[in-house]
Amino acid sequence: MSVLLDVKDIAKSFKLKGHWYHKRKLNALSPLSFAIEAKKTLAIVGETGSGKSTLAKILVGAETPTTGKIYLNGQLLKNQHFKQRCQHIRMIFQDSGTTLNPSLTIQELLDEPLILNTVLNEKQRKNLIRTTLQKVGLLGDHMNFYPHMFSGGQKQRISLARAIILQPQVIILDEALAALDPSLRSQMINLLLDLQQQMGLAYILISHNLGIVRHFSDDVMIMSQGEVVESGKTIEVMRNPQHKVTQKLMMSQNFQIK
Amino acid sequence: MNLLDIRNLSIELDTPSGRVLAVDRVSLSIKEGEVRGLVGESGSGKSLLAQAIIGVLEDKWHVHADRFHWRGIDLLRLSIDDRKALLCRDIAMIFQEPMSCLDPTTLIGEQLSEAIDTSQLSGYFWQRKKQRKEAVIKLLHKVGIKKHEQCINSYPHQLTEAICQRVMIAIALAGRPILLIADEPTAAMESTTQGQIFRLLANLNQLKNMSILLISHDLENLTHWTNTITVMYSGQFVEAGSTEQIFNKPMHPYTRALVDSSTKANLQLPTKSRLMTLPGSIPVLQHLPIGCRLGPRCPRAQQTCVAAPTVSNYHGHKVSCHFPLLRETGKKVKGSH
Ligand code: SF4
Repeated sequence: MSVLLDVKDIAKSFKLKGHWYHKRKLNALSPLSFAIEAKKTLAIVGETGSGKSTLAKILVGAETPTTGKIYLNGQLLKNQHFKQRCQHIRMIFQDSGTTLNPSLTIQELLDEPLILNTVLNEKQRKNLIRTTLQKVGLLGDHMNFYPHMFSGGQKQRISLARAIILQPQVIILDEALAALDPSLRSQMINLLLDLQQQMGLAYILISHNLGIVRHFSDDVMIMSQGEVVESGKTIEVMRNPQHKVTQKLMMSQNFQIK
Repeated sequence: MNLLDIRNLSIELDTPSGRVLAVDRVSLSIKEGEVRGLVGESGSGKSLLAQAIIGVLEDKWHVHADRFHWRGIDLLRLSIDDRKALLCRDIAMIFQEPMSCLDPTTLIGEQLSEAIDTSQLSGYFWQRKKQRKEAVIKLLHKVGIKKHEQCINSYPHQLTEAICQRVMIAIALAGRPILLIADEPTAAMESTTQGQIFRLLANLNQLKNMSILLISHDLENLTHWTNTITVMYSGQFVEAGSTEQIFNKPMHPYTRALVDSSTKANLQLPTKSRLMTLPGSIPVLQHLPIGCRLGPRCPRAQQTCVAAPTVSNYHGHKVSCHFPLLRETGKKVKGSH
């Protein structure tokens, strides 16, 4: 299958305050490369400060990388070209409740990306919102509700609806499953897997729950202090962890695959 | 001996839309020296129950119980002040988000020394200050903080979440409690630090014979650290038993679904296959189903389930369901999938 997203030698460093002849740099992310195909999931595992969030921010365009290039379908993504990027790469966060504007109805919330990014008229937009809500397991009539009328699990579905409404190709799930209750979490996993098959999505899953990573992802990248310490097929990495960091992670979750 | 023995505890809340039975006849017992897990998803009333135990509930909440014994003393017969004095002495509680529980404007050392009761110090008043400081350092060592000087002289925001939680545990230990209630102590922490906190609690349990009530929404996180587990759903008692019983032979459809949906218990499942799950979402307090509250989501529900089930006891494995998954049926269910 063809490569959907190709990341080449992305790196990010911040300049720290210091004397002008004594400038120091902090490497948040050492150069790293990876590629994802459609319908595949790449998991990124690491502790706080491992650079995984920085990587996610660079991918969606909230940060500009110091060096390196990102290709989507073979096309170079330019740093300033947000329109192209936000149509194809979307992101869902852990705390879905706080990312939804409480003063807008669901329809208005979902309308926003459509108005900004598409040329659809009002009726088409409404229809699209309705079908998208149904896709994520909500009712079309839910669009007149306000976010506070939904439970945590449903809010996460609305975030998902907002993410897929522009027919993206890559979705970044930043701990999106961590705060959900277990029974809702498995519903969400099932839903995400279904959508992946239907729409040919590629996921980048940022998580520290190895159980979910094992179940959900094809490839995994273990990060520590801005560097990729181990990567490969999820099953193989977990069967036979090589690096200390990976081993420690698996130990801490009492995780073992025979 | 049972340290804590609660039978049929109910909590009613006054809301604008009338009284709501938020916790519906839940029983809980804790033996001396055991670690009990209390598992429930959001809205299960697990935190309410914990608050009812230590008695920090508001007046708007009405608590009834058939039995509420603490170390053999019937608390229901004591006056409120006596009860509070007794429970304050013996029970301590730690919460999630430790940073928000600590006073941001006071040094850690002062907050810790505040927690140390004067009656624990011997000696004349001019020796007190020194003793107090020694006691603080000892407490910090107990929870595994070695750089005590640095910690004492910091404000909460200068420390990491995990260190703050350790400080909270130290404050809790200052009163030398017999029971420690930990309400999601590791929520929003890294898995490696989570392990450290759990290990610290396990050590305290072993060395000091302190009983622990560990509250969490995630069954699979708890199983490694608990002796017994009680499961709640939407304010109702679901199932209680030893950790092995609950995790390996769940009898209640809800516990079964929790175990089945856990990715850790299903390592033999092929990747990206669908997980077993219950349909629907957790009911909100304003619209609770009658009878068994799992009813609308339960795969085994039948007509009888509109009446709340009673608790039946299978060799210490208590389950509240009209149609529990007994061993044979459990196997059948497994085979048919
Ligand atoms: S009592 Fe009925 S509805 Fe409730 S869990 Fe048992 S079978 Fe399901």
